[in-house]
Amino acid sequence: MPDLSRRSFLKATAWIAGGITIAFSARLIKEKSVSVGPTLEFPNAESGKGWLQVRSDGKVHMLCPRMEMGQNANTGLAQIVAEELNIRVQDITLHYPTTSETAPIGFTAGSLSMMLFSKPVAIAAASMRENLRCRAAKINKISVDEVIDTEGGFVILGSPRIGYQDLVTDESIELDFENSVIPTLYTFDPRRIKKQVGQEAEPRGIKDLVTGAPVFSGDIQLPGMLYGRVIKPPVRKARLKNLNFSTVQNIIGFFDIVRDGDFVGVVCRTPGSLDKAVRSVIIEWELPEPINQEKINQLLDINVALQRGDLPSTLQDENHNPSANWDVDLEFAVQLQTHAMQEPRAAVAHIEKINDIERINIWTGTQDPWAIKRHCADDIGFREDQVEVHPMRMGGGFGGREHYEVEQDAARLALATGLPIKVQWTREDEFRVARNRSPSSHRMRLACDHKGVLSNWWHAYASGYVFYSRSRLPDWLLPFKRSTAGGDFGVSRGAHPAYKSPSIRVEYKEVDLPIDLGVWRSLNGAPNTFVIESTMDELARQKSIDPVRFKLMNIPDSMARLGNCLKRVETMANRNPLPAKSGYGRGFACGVYEKNSFVAVSVDLHIDHEARKICIDRMCCAQDVGMAINPDQLRAQIESNLVWSIGMALMEKVEIGDGQIASNNFHNYMIPRMSDMPSLDIDIIDNPIIHPSGAGEVALIAGSPAIANAIRDATGLRLTRLPIKYTDITALGSL
Amino acid sequence: MVSLLERISNPIFNKPNMNLFVNGTERVVTGVWEEETLLSVLREYFGLIGTRFGCGKGLCGSCTVHVDGEPVRSCITPVNNIAGTSVLTIEGLQQDNEKLHPLQQAWIDERVPQCGYCHSGQIMQAWGLLSKTRNPTEEQINTFMDSILCRCGTYDRIKKAILRAAVMLQQSSDTNA
Ligand code: FES
Ligand code: FES
Repeated sequence: MPDLSRRSFLKATAWIAGGITIAFSARLIKEKSVSVGPTLEFPNAESGKGWLQVRSDGKVHMLCPRMEMGQNANTGLAQIVAEELNIRVQDITLHYPTTSETAPIGFTAGSLSMMLFSKPVAIAAASMRENLRCRAAKINKISVDEVIDTEGGFVILGSPRIGYQDLVTDESIELDFENSVIPTLYTFDPRRIKKQVGQEAEPRGIKDLVTGAPVFSGDIQLPGMLYGRVIKPPVRKARLKNLNFSTVQNIIGFFDIVRDGDFVGVVCRTPGSLDKAVRSVIIEWELPEPINQEKINQLLDINVALQRGDLPSTLQDENHNPSANWDVDLEFAVQLQTHAMQEPRAAVAHIEKINDIERINIWTGTQDPWAIKRHCADDIGFREDQVEVHPMRMGGGFGGREHYEVEQDAARLALATGLPIKVQWTREDEFRVARNRSPSSHRMRLACDHKGVLSNWWHAYASGYVFYSRSRLPDWLLPFKRSTAGGDFGVSRGAHPAYKSPSIRVEYKEVDLPIDLGVWRSLNGAPNTFVIESTMDELARQKSIDPVRFKLMNIPDSMARLGNCLKRVETMANRNPLPAKSGYGRGFACGVYEKNSFVAVSVDLHIDHEARKICIDRMCCAQDVGMAINPDQLRAQIESNLVWSIGMALMEKVEIGDGQIASNNFHNYMIPRMSDMPSLDIDIIDNPIIHPSGAGEVALIAGSPAIANAIRDATGLRLTRLPIKYTDITALGSL
Repeated sequence: MVSLLERISNPIFNKPNMNLFVNGTERVVTGVWEEETLLSVLREYFGLIGTRFGCGKGLCGSCTVHVDGEPVRSCITPVNNIAGTSVLTIEGLQQDNEKLHPLQQAWIDERVPQCGYCHSGQIMQAWGLLSKTRNPTEEQINTFMDSILCRCGTYDRIKKAILRAAVMLQQSSDTNA
């Protein structure tokens, strides 16, 4: 085992060359890393040591613990450091460590960054501040209480200002504060008038993005680098049946073909010759199981599952009465969706020999660099300390970049050729290889009394696996995980009712679908909320109750923050009256994501029969994720989620052909464009006394049902199959 | 397999070179690179990696650059079709070392980028609009920008940034006048 202790890390880098370095708090989760799973070492005693430093020039440096993909989490964390140290966020120097420069840090996913890192970061920075205060007191031979904060330092009555640079020497000091008292955290002090937290902060690195600086993995250039590609099967675990590469050598620029079992890689001198060379290879695959849309529909048929009593997982079961007098009984079909991040994945790998020891360097945009390091070592037979991963910015993640994949292509080809290799997946590769968000089929029934108080709730559904899909885990681990993990919480996400009802049953079936599935923005949060919010809306309309009143009536006190969002968004929507014309409609939906993030969305739309289009005119959103550390970036995440909800409701669907995923580029997988944009009205409900929760996948859950509810309002049609097309409206003969 | 030496001595590598004017500088494309797309030449041969690859089929616009003043999709533009032309990339947009181009500045002021991957293409397309239409309407922006995809969904801010840049350009031409 390589020595992964923090001391060896800190010594190995020049990081603690001088000044005071401080560890992050030890008072947080301590979890073991799972060797096949993601890196779960969230801030704790051993990870993240030395992330914060004040150097002898008084300047503050921070190692960024989060991988960037557009969520700007590190900017938010830097705001916290700035708040605690009374400096400006732009004066902090950020460093992005490689996997050799710090101990493992938990993977970046699930909108956990602010939730898990804000407090440890605040404690570290506040401890640094208090240590500096003690030094100031000691030097001036006064008590600590007499050392008063000021910008970038302290003041003592009757003396000149003391800057941090006056308190730090070139000597290198490492502070440990595992057992010390937690100092006052300015970030979480509701009485403090904050200067950094809660303010707009320019996202770090934004200038690089508008000037085209090298920030993505595909931007890496190494001398003598060649271009490689591994030919991908339609699904993982397919076997190579036939391979013919007899003409590849005629391609100008061809360099080598690497064959190892089912692994077929081509290496060329230019990207264009690589395209040609790959096209010249004839390859046939044998799939573990045939795939086509019909087969998937059959496997997911919720009515068959209900008839057979084949719904093995129960999420909630209280006083269930299957023969209740159901007021609404709807069936839903949610489509297969993909991440389609703008940057198709890319990696550069280079093996070098230093003092007779081989080392591999990998540049890649990944949500989990330490997993890449572990898996790469295992894959190519290196020790972990022979692998260094250089995390690059991701051109979008959305849950699609957690695994060792494009890195594997690059590492193996670099090993086989002995040369630096760049692997840039094509868009077609990206579509073929993506672990998509599962389709699902639902049946949802509701009943209420004459006043509109819910009496019975029954939601049954079938979905492919999310975390325990066959493409995410090795065969030997799958049955164990599926049988012992207590349900795939990706499948059940969002299925807990946010409403109260005396009788509730929520049950589901996890299906082993023959396509590659995995983690997508909000997991099943968006599909489940779509179903729930559509059915609730339908029940209200059938009872002739205003849908917002109806929901507010059924939201329990414990969900007051949800009710607030809904009321707020109703007020926002009402600022603009809906045109009193036929074909115009307004819909509302709300939802809770992961217990602590609350959101409500309203949608105004109209059906444009001339353009044969459903046009979203306006969307309002009110969201409460507790303390708003960077309101502008919260707003940006909401914008992004609302756009995604339009895609989910009206456009996106991965088509499955015979034996393959048929969607392979942006002409047959449509995503929202500028002309699809409604006007947006966004309100952040700041709750400064509540610990921040995730915001990266919240508004998406309420956006798509709000669209479906607005279509119902405009046309009288309850559309339950996503994506909803204009032709669905005309087919059902509205207006 | 063909040896490296054989390939280097292949006559196809010794064709006469072709020229391009990239961001105002004359550049030469040689050998096997003449068979490449403009995107591939810009990124991998000239090292101008600001132009990004998104789909390779002309469908997303991430690779947009200007050829003789017109926005084109470099991923589907064979470089040998545009010999002798002037190419402008995101790296060449900024005229003044001290000051960003108004579009770049507006992009920062509106905090447009999320992941940032699409924005070289967005900005180059937007310049294709603003360089000819100084005061675009929202409708014109929608139409002109509609084919440049942004998976992160930053469209609202892109629109605002274009309008802001239009005002900045107006102001600077007023002061120059
Ligand atoms: S990469 Fe050229 S249009 Fe998508
Ligand atoms: S900012 Fe990510 S694709 Fe546009």
